[in-house]
Amino acid sequence: MTGAGVAETVAGERAAPSDPDAGRVSAALAEGLDVGFAELYRAYHGVVFAVALRTTGHRADAEDLAAESLLRAYRALSGYDARRIRALSPRPWLLTIVLNTRRNQVRDAARRPRGADGEVPERPVPGPTVEEHAEHRETGEHLAASLAQLTDTQRHAVVLRHVADLPIGEVAEVLGCPVGTAKSHVSRGLTRLRACIENGAGTARPAERG
Amino acid sequence: MTTMTTPDHGDALLAGLAALAPSDAPDLTDRVFDGWLAVPSRIGPVRVASTRDGVSFLRRAADLDDEGFRAAYRDRFGRPLRPARSVPDDLEAALDGDAGARPRLDLLALTDFQRDVLAATRTIPAGETRSYAWVAAEIGRPRAVRAAGTALATNPVPLLIPCHRVVPSHGDVGRYIFGVPVKQALLQSEKAEEKT
Repeated sequence: MTGAGVAETVAGERAAPSDPDAGRVSAALAEGLDVGFAELYRAYHGVVFAVALRTTGHRADAEDLAAESLLRAYRALSGYDARRIRALSPRPWLLTIVLNTRRNQVRDAARRPRGADGEVPERPVPGPTVEEHAEHRETGEHLAASLAQLTDTQRHAVVLRHVADLPIGEVAEVLGCPVGTAKSHVSRGLTRLRACIENGAGTARPAERG
Repeated sequence: MTTMTTPDHGDALLAGLAALAPSDAPDLTDRVFDGWLAVPSRIGPVRVASTRDGVSFLRRAADLDDEGFRAAYRDRFGRPLRPARSVPDDLEAALDGDAGARPRLDLLALTDFQRDVLAATRTIPAGETRSYAWVAAEIGRPRAVRAAGTALATNPVPLLIPCHRVVPSHGDVGRYIFGVPVKQALLQSEKAEEKT
């Protein structure tokens, strides 16, 4: 559980808040599945959509992925007994389902003859600040495009830690690795992101100028 | 040109990533939750579930309580229910026996064969009956009489698809999801209404 050997290279690193909804949601689910699931939806559909959006890069695809993931979660829960439900960490558990569902979608799309539809974000969705400032639009699009340059694991680590604002323990849970390894994925992802931004890679422009 | 190694840039990068979180998650409730409600019908109160595409499930309140209905829906469709926000169009009239009222149905969870059986059954007018063999022939599968019977026995929306109008070629009225007496009563009342 130690991050031995992993240099923390990020300035201003701070602890993300632990999940304030976990206890309430698990208790509600153990009480009654449908009512509890409504509680789960309220607490987590935002973070599920945020991760889906940064995984697919497209708003419509993200809505499909989020809805499909939530339904898969419901089906899984209906097979769990009350003890298992109470022991659940709902947020990392749900986000694991989102990433697995996406992996399946990509795999299935690759098997289809026409294939390539929406494999990796090609035309990323700009960040939410787009309407506000042109400068931010530039940054948001650029950054979203740069994210697409990372390996899946690095992108997932960075998105979970810094877009979804999960504590590193939950990031590790979703990635299915020790905390130290998760830190390392985040750190390497950020390093690569910086390099991408520096090189202008991943911009919407076809090629670098000059 | 900014340099990429200053702490400032690290902060800017993290702030930029945080800003990628959408502030406006869309409402996915219609896609995730189906609605349910209790309504009167000519065989007593029923519970009805519907998706955004139409009515998907109907059972008698006398047979299943709230939790039993949810559990049956969960087993069959794997989807959560919440109280419906509105009554599906034409539902109440159809449950009241109005032959012209045809609420939209969502039969997507069924197989093509089951859907065909139910679609053929939906064409049988009130006051009339058809045999299981007729249904099988109607969908171009004349040898699948038994399978047609099974599809009707698991009709997700009895009354709205009048599976009670399908009877054996000889003998009694045959089986019914809500019991033989209910089937007999429905057929008798429909026959009487057609005569008037």
